[in-house]
Amino acid sequence: MWKIASRSRIKSPWIFHLNTGSCNGCDIEIVAALTPRYDAERLGCVLVGSPRHADVLILTGPLTSQMMPRVVRVYEQIPEPKAVVAVGSCAISGAPFLGSYSIEGPLDRIIPVDVYVAGCPPRPEAIIRGIVTAVKRKFG
Amino acid sequence: MIALEILLATLPLVFLLSLLFEGIDRKVHARMQRRIGPPIIQPFYDFIKLLVKENIVPTTAARSIFNASPSLAAASSIVGAAIPLANLIARTGIIGDLILVMYLLTMSSIMIVVGGSSSGNPYGAVGFSRKIMMLIGYEIPLLISVVSISIKAGPSLIYYDIILAQIKSDKCLACAYISSATAALTFLLCISAAVGVVPFDIPEAKTEVIHGPLIEYSGPQLALLKLAKSSTIFSLSLLAFTLFFYFPTIYELSIVLGEIATLGACLLGSLMVMLLTVTLPRTVFARLKIGQAFKTYWFFPLPMAITSLMLSVLGW
Repeated sequence: MWKIASRSRIKSPWIFHLNTGSCNGCDIEIVAALTPRYDAERLGCVLVGSPRHADVLILTGPLTSQMMPRVVRVYEQIPEPKAVVAVGSCAISGAPFLGSYSIEGPLDRIIPVDVYVAGCPPRPEAIIRGIVTAVKRKFG
Repeated sequence: MIALEILLATLPLVFLLSLLFEGIDRKVHARMQRRIGPPIIQPFYDFIKLLVKENIVPTTAARSIFNASPSLAAASSIVGAAIPLANLIARTGIIGDLILVMYLLTMSSIMIVVGGSSSGNPYGAVGFSRKIMMLIGYEIPLLISVVSISIKAGPSLIYYDIILAQIKSDKCLACAYISSATAALTFLLCISAAVGVVPFDIPEAKTEVIHGPLIEYSGPQLALLKLAKSSTIFSLSLLAFTLFFYFPTIYELSIVLGEIATLGACLLGSLMVMLLTVTLPRTVFARLKIGQAFKTYWFFPLPMAITSLMLSVLGW
């Protein structure tokens, strides 16, 4: 029974995407991962509009101080079990913005991150691989 | 009471078939967009995943209505799909079951929006008002087309009587009379609004009102709402096929190959209806605005439905 549940969770990761102060580069690549060319839906990924429906939270950007309470709120709105994927160099380390007065990041100081996808921006294949790794590690 | 037992036996069948239909719909949709698409059993994965997920009830929600409405929606649409299927298998009917089916299908979509509006989320309220607008738009032509066909076949409000009329007259109703052909066209046009798929998914628009009524639902409640939607699709396509396009050859199949062949042919036919009325428009068209959708239904299917009703009263 547990096996079926875990398999279903791996096979249907619904994604909620949140921009935490990114330059939009990573966001474009995330959208590209959902287009017919890369087709994340063949792995069951659907982009949902409400965090209540999501399983995987994809975060981009260095986490500005304005976005910090909102990121925490969205994270807590997602029902358990959930996985978090940090996409892009900014989300991983703060990249060029590290040390700025308006940056609270890197992301893993605020919420637990399961998978880091490096790149500026990362390629769509890398993002899809990140999602798959995250759900396998977290729900498997 | 045999009919009741068959009805209970068809409930799991409806569950399996409606999720399978949704899977086929998603696969064909993907292939039309030149994607590989999700596996056909993807809706089962989604359903199980949502069933074992955490259930969150927002503090702003009217708790009892919020919790009750997904179960009511799923129950009414599954029973609404099970009644025609059970009647097809048992080959009988009860007086007025056609009215009951149409009522249950409307009930299911009303319960979804009532749950959404009780969530306390403004998007849920927006979805509610849009859905009620849509209901006024499509429900009247849908019901008039059913009335028109039931006048033609009897007059009778028994679902199986309409099928019997098609077997007796040796022609499917849509091919036999002008009025029924018009009614069939009206019914087919109304399906995509009745189930709320893309050109008419205005109440649940993902990019506008963030799933509207579904926004605050999570876990098992959301699973039930998704199930309600897919069994409504299944039920309406089954109804559309059997009420209007039940070719007598389908009935003759049972003499040669057994009753399971008749049922299989009906399901195959309703699959074709679903692909034409749900999958194709949802791939081809973009979402309309609420005013445009309302106008579409009042300027085209409604006059058509009224014409069909008048023609059938006149005996055409």
